[in-house]
Amino acid sequence: MTTLPLRGDHGAFAIETHGLTKRFGARAAVDSVDLRVPTGCAFGFLGPNGAGKTTLIRTVLGLTPASAGTVSILGLPQPDHRVAALAQVGAIVEEPRFHRHLTGRENLTVAAAVRGPEAEGRIEAVLERVGLGNRAAERVGAYSMGMRQRLGIARCLLSDPALLILDEPMNGVDPAGIHELRRMFRDLVDEGRTVFLSSHLLDEIEKTCDAVAIVDQGRLITQGLMSEVAGPVKNTVVIGCDDPERARILLGNHRAVRGVTAAAGRLHVQLVSGNDAAAAVNRTLVEAGLAVFHVEPERVSLEDRFLEITSRLGVAS
Amino acid sequence: MTAHILSRMISAEFLKLRKRRSLFWWSLILCCVTVPVVYAVLAVLHLSDAAHYGPAGGAENLGHSLEALALLGGIAGVMIGATAGAGDIGAGVFRDLVATGRSRLALFGVRLPGALALFVPLMVAGLAIATVCSILLAGSLANPSATLVLHYAAWLLVATTLPLILALGMASLLGSRTITVGVLLGWQLAAAPILGHLDFLGRIRDGISVLATDRLLPVTGGRGGDVAASMPLAVALVVIAVWAAVALGAGAWRTRTMDA
Repeated sequence: MTTLPLRGDHGAFAIETHGLTKRFGARAAVDSVDLRVPTGCAFGFLGPNGAGKTTLIRTVLGLTPASAGTVSILGLPQPDHRVAALAQVGAIVEEPRFHRHLTGRENLTVAAAVRGPEAEGRIEAVLERVGLGNRAAERVGAYSMGMRQRLGIARCLLSDPALLILDEPMNGVDPAGIHELRRMFRDLVDEGRTVFLSSHLLDEIEKTCDAVAIVDQGRLITQGLMSEVAGPVKNTVVIGCDDPERARILLGNHRAVRGVTAAAGRLHVQLVSGNDAAAAVNRTLVEAGLAVFHVEPERVSLEDRFLEITSRLGVAS
Repeated sequence: MTAHILSRMISAEFLKLRKRRSLFWWSLILCCVTVPVVYAVLAVLHLSDAAHYGPAGGAENLGHSLEALALLGGIAGVMIGATAGAGDIGAGVFRDLVATGRSRLALFGVRLPGALALFVPLMVAGLAIATVCSILLAGSLANPSATLVLHYAAWLLVATTLPLILALGMASLLGSRTITVGVLLGWQLAAAPILGHLDFLGRIRDGISVLATDRLLPVTGGRGGDVAASMPLAVALVVIAVWAAVALGAGAWRTRTMDA
């Protein structure tokens, strides 16, 4: 589950690490991580609190030196090409922080001054984009957490970045705001940018991202396309009908069925093949006089997958 | 890094300081309000009892008022320098600035001109106010000459800018505005003057920053007293330069090496 497609113009991964390790004394907060983030996608970086997500981001960005391993950003090895790489990156590390005595617009002015003249010209546009155009003259000290998150994203966009690295961007954002942010992230991907979302919110990652990596205890557990990590279970359907027990007996010896289990009033039917077998099974039930009201491919959610992985690790440790 | 980016970064540093209302207003009060208030009190005393109280202005009183301004301006300098040095770290935005890829030394380097852009105009205004007051209220006393005023101006800027530089370097080193202000005000207002009076320290006292800056006074006096008066000018200049260099060097080193 480690073969990820390359997309975009860079001809390289947006982020690529080999054996990346960050130690604090004897403890490895990031332990020999080989991460590959494809360009031009929304990439979820998932892990429980304390898994090492933020430390990895800080190490990738050069905010703290790595103990071992290599990092490339947009194909540029770090730290040798740090300036060129980070000029194309917008990042929020941990919660977005600002000078509380300055207004939103003034905070962006300060950030744009460090970025360069092009960034200064984008201030009004990015404020409008994140929905803070009419609140930009207020001091950030009066902003809610959700507004600060949006201002943080605006600060990231000042550099017109090819890669956005956002650490827990949904924290403190209300449901409507989360919906807006999700749509914005997809728009950013549609513009050809790579959006790297670090989060412990499984549902948000699953709804927003194309690919995902799961990290725990500093180690990368798995990475791949979302459809590979979570999604439909191959050749398995969930069937709901008015008499599940009779249906289970009927399908027990069906030629298109490999196995049947019942749970919570539903039948989980393993088929020998895909759609044709599903249609045959449905036909059999209907012809037997059963009322079938639910047929859908069985899915494993990211949450199921995540819990499966982390509980396995818990047993192992 | 282009000159344009550099100037914008300095402007941003200035903006961060100027918009801190309490810092700005206290600095303004210390640098520009206190001295004319003292002149006004002296003028009222002179008007009410000219036999006991001489004119408030004149060259000699200008010296006294500028020594007071140096003390108050030094406090303002420490506050501004400490805020410039630790402001980004305290607000938590230092990591965001580092994550832009901009050189950490550049981020440190613009703090000093940004702080001076706020501080120097306040000090110049304070000096101008004191000079005008000393001339307007000179009465029968001699007016200060242009040479004397310029000499005082040079001393005043050095005596108040050095604490600002020390505060900026120390705050960048420690990452704490509060500790920096406490330590440096203790040094400026208490420790340095006391050490200056400990005769058994001999010429070791030449290394005290406050005494070195007082060597630049146009007339003998100030907190430096005899120690400053007997200090060779070159030694005073070297001492001032070393204090500034050590402070800025320590701040730059910490800014370059700290985890962001």
